[in-house]
Amino acid sequence: MTDPILVLTDARLTLQGNAGPVNILKGISLSISRGESVGLVGPSGSGKSSLLMLMGGLERASGGSVMALGQDLTAMDEDALARFRRGNMGVVFQSFHLIPTMTALENVALPMELANVTDAFARAEAELVAVGLGPRLHHYPSQLSGGEQQRVALARAAAPRPAILLADEPTGNLDGVNGQAIMDLLFGLRDQHGATLVLVTHSAELAARCDRVVRLADGNLAPELKAAAE
Amino acid sequence: MTTRLAARIARRELRGGLTGFRIFLLCLALGVAAIAAVGTLRAAIQSGLEDQGAALLGGDAQMEFTYRFADAEELAFMDRTATRRSEVVDFRSMAVIADDSALTQIKAVDANYPLYGTVTLDPPIPLADALATKGGLPGAALDPVLIARLSLNIGDTFTLGTQTFRLTAAVIREPDSSGGFTLGPRTIIRTDALAASGLLAPGSLYETEYRLALPPGTNLQQLEDQAKATFREKGMSWSDSRRAAPGIDEFVDRIGSFLVLVGLAGLAVGGVGISAAVRSYLDGKIATIATLKTIGAEGRLIFRIYLFQILVLAGIGIVAGLILGAGIPMLFSPIIEAQLPFPADIALAPMPLIEAAFYGLITALLFTLWPLARTETVRAAALYRGGDGQRARPRGIYIAALLGLALILVGGSVYLSGIPELALGAAGGILGSLLVLALTAYGMRRLARRTARSGLTRGRVPLRLALGSIGGARSEATSVILSLGLGLSVLAAVGQIDSNLRNSIEQDLPERAPAFFFVDIQPDQIDPFLASMANNPAVTKVDSAPMLRGVVTMINGKPATEVTDHWVVRGDRGLTYADTPPEGTKITAGKWWPEGYTGDPQVSFAAEEAAEIGLKLGDTITVNILGRDITATITSFRDVNFSTAGIGFVMSLNAAALQGAPHTFISTVYAPPEAEGQLLKDVTKTWTNITAIRIREAIDRVTEALGAIATATAWAAAATLLTGFVVLIGAAAAGERARVYEAAILKTLGATRGRILASFALRSALMGAAAGSVAVIAGAIAGWAVMTFVMDATYRFEPVSAFAIVIGGILATLLAGLAFALRPLSARPAQVLRTQD
Repeated sequence: MTDPILVLTDARLTLQGNAGPVNILKGISLSISRGESVGLVGPSGSGKSSLLMLMGGLERASGGSVMALGQDLTAMDEDALARFRRGNMGVVFQSFHLIPTMTALENVALPMELANVTDAFARAEAELVAVGLGPRLHHYPSQLSGGEQQRVALARAAAPRPAILLADEPTGNLDGVNGQAIMDLLFGLRDQHGATLVLVTHSAELAARCDRVVRLADGNLAPELKAAAE
Repeated sequence: MTTRLAARIARRELRGGLTGFRIFLLCLALGVAAIAAVGTLRAAIQSGLEDQGAALLGGDAQMEFTYRFADAEELAFMDRTATRRSEVVDFRSMAVIADDSALTQIKAVDANYPLYGTVTLDPPIPLADALATKGGLPGAALDPVLIARLSLNIGDTFTLGTQTFRLTAAVIREPDSSGGFTLGPRTIIRTDALAASGLLAPGSLYETEYRLALPPGTNLQQLEDQAKATFREKGMSWSDSRRAAPGIDEFVDRIGSFLVLVGLAGLAVGGVGISAAVRSYLDGKIATIATLKTIGAEGRLIFRIYLFQILVLAGIGIVAGLILGAGIPMLFSPIIEAQLPFPADIALAPMPLIEAAFYGLITALLFTLWPLARTETVRAAALYRGGDGQRARPRGIYIAALLGLALILVGGSVYLSGIPELALGAAGGILGSLLVLALTAYGMRRLARRTARSGLTRGRVPLRLALGSIGGARSEATSVILSLGLGLSVLAAVGQIDSNLRNSIEQDLPERAPAFFFVDIQPDQIDPFLASMANNPAVTKVDSAPMLRGVVTMINGKPATEVTDHWVVRGDRGLTYADTPPEGTKITAGKWWPEGYTGDPQVSFAAEEAAEIGLKLGDTITVNILGRDITATITSFRDVNFSTAGIGFVMSLNAAALQGAPHTFISTVYAPPEAEGQLLKDVTKTWTNITAIRIREAIDRVTEALGAIATATAWAAAATLLTGFVVLIGAAAAGERARVYEAAILKTLGATRGRILASFALRSALMGAAAGSVAVIAGAIAGWAVMTFVMDATYRFEPVSAFAIVIGGILATLLAGLAFALRPLSARPAQVLRTQD
């Protein structure tokens, strides 16, 4: 693989639980190239979401290193990570996480406002129109259906044109039809802007749409795919 | 850019409305309103006193003399400067009828009285008519209390000294009465009618006040300086319309400041509610904050977003509080003005409102900064990992800012109250109480957690549930114990102080105090008087001493008022003389003069007061008695106990120094209550000029005055408790959702509603009892401190009010808790649990 955009070396994650420390990720080494799409699969509790969060700098590695766009995320503090994410990363969650007091348009414009983009609202509007929500610009999240909310979340993640798109089971809360539409949109955006996509999913069908599938089991890369991943 | 962006995002966030902030706004508004209301009233009274200064004083200026009338030189000075002059003689005496007598405060006036305003009488006749002599009997107007006390009717007669007067009217209002404290109700008569009364004999205790009407534009300061330079050493004291009633002014100022401090305690209680409200609001915002972080917002921006929101809310709360605090007194101004014993001019006063807004803003920031600062530490991972994601301590700069805000608040209250010791004490008390309460809450939660897990609660489901929820992660125990505890602490302190003061006056004092003070006993009457007392079997003890009054003018040759502002040098003081130390005298330093000493005047000074002024043996004191200066050297200090109501003089001179001066004797007579009536009759019949002050009646007057202060304080404390109750309601409401869920699960598992209710009630009662117990301890400490250091009296724990506080605490939490138990108890489990999925 050439031009790696995300490189994890022996990345570990240990969290403090009530009964003592829990090793969530036990030394993951993984490299993802620019423009590649990777599906993260594995049983519940295998550490897929945690691995995705490490990649997005939303979780700090307890050991090893996480390099994104050539920068070491483990060396950055919370604020530096937040600044880094502006424009470089877009994250989509299973439960959307829109800000309930803001309209669809404001939600999408927000990351660009944070990055001091002057035409944040115009771009946000274009993005929402692109995902088919042109008539819903001024609706609040509570006035939108689950599928619509996820489309807003998608538009929010994609609008700043990030180099990396991270999606944590983006269709997990949606029915089949809506889920399919979201996935089409997600892959469409990725194809359109050439972003790198890392996708956590339980769906074999979705995983199959990715360039590569990485399987996790009990905090480790599963043996059969480990060699391919490296 | 960051600031504008923060403001923009904050505005969007606030679209959710103010529903989550009802408690925040109520707490802040109540606290600010209480302080604003007290301040508005204080300003109203001060402005009323200023406006009506001349009428209150009875003239533009007043020259006052003790024990004597003005001499020719002094009268000439007055006539040179004033356009009109009125002479008023003020003293105490006995109004006597056939078989009864009562103490009265006599105001003997001339034809020019009153220079300003009018005396209102009932029936509504002119004062001149009321006081005129008809049928050989001079007229008198009496206070309705005195008329009722002696069961008089208009036209009845009574005597003052040896002169008989005719009651012509009741005094409804004197323009120059400012409601100051007097022991006896008022009698108004003409001074010349006293000539035959024998009451103004040399040595009698009376004051003469010369009220002056001055030409417009007179420079009062210049005139005061001139009068003082010429006459102060002759015992003249000066007042003018700039501060017509310095006593009331100071009293109102002090009471106002004290009540503002009580109001501050209320604001601190509200602060607990504010903090809890903001904490719960921000808890609900964790997902939003984490989302903001995910899409690139820095901690600083997030802090500003929520700071903006809090500032906007604080602004709304403060403005509401100011409208309430200034509006209520203005709305009820006719009632309030009629109730107050002094003039008040209730209007919109900016300064008290600024003060209240300052306290409100600083308190709001102080109690929200910690939860606000913790928004910075929310991690983006909270979005998918759940939990609050914010366990880290805020950065050092926020902790420094918190300390700074606390300092500004304490410093502000010290500066603005004008009573720094009390302000510091109150601040220390509030902070100390909050700390103890926080520790109690922490300890209680830990203990509850441990006990819930131990074998002790096995088989006792309601108890285990109650303890489990007190110790649980989202327990409201901390805010309940803090708010209710602080509110109850203020109430407990007021209760302890009030009952201690009342007890010391009503119970302790009369046991040790004499039945009567007899004053104005002429030197030729003292021996027969003492003989009569000795022959009276009801009299258990008699003390007597010569008494003169004088003003301390110099200390070591320097004007006394420049050396100190101690009460001893303010106004005139009683002093005595003795050749040998009276029985029981305890000399603490120096030596009493030898018997029969006739050398330069020597004085024995009260040890405690001397120490307060900073006097030492060998210092000289100059006292002006009836216009004559006597300079004496301090040769000894002695213990004087003023708390027993016995005879206590700050200064006792050697006999030869004062024997020649006109003086009278004072005597304290101890007798059982049932003998008091007859004793009074015997004395007033035999010696008409002698004034009897019945201690029991005097105590009633003092208790009445004290009752008014206690009532004002209780109102302020009630505002504090009301805020505490609002916080309680807020805490109970915040816990309602968790309780609905808990009740649903319990019902699914087979718990009856009775059991669930018992668990809720037990939880509330336990928290209320903890808050009440701490409040009793805090109140006792505050009570002890005030009684010991401020009142200089002994403190005794008052169990009744303390017990009531604990019960009150339990009832309040029960009420608040059970009010919010209805929904949890009535909700159907399936509904709740399905939603929770």
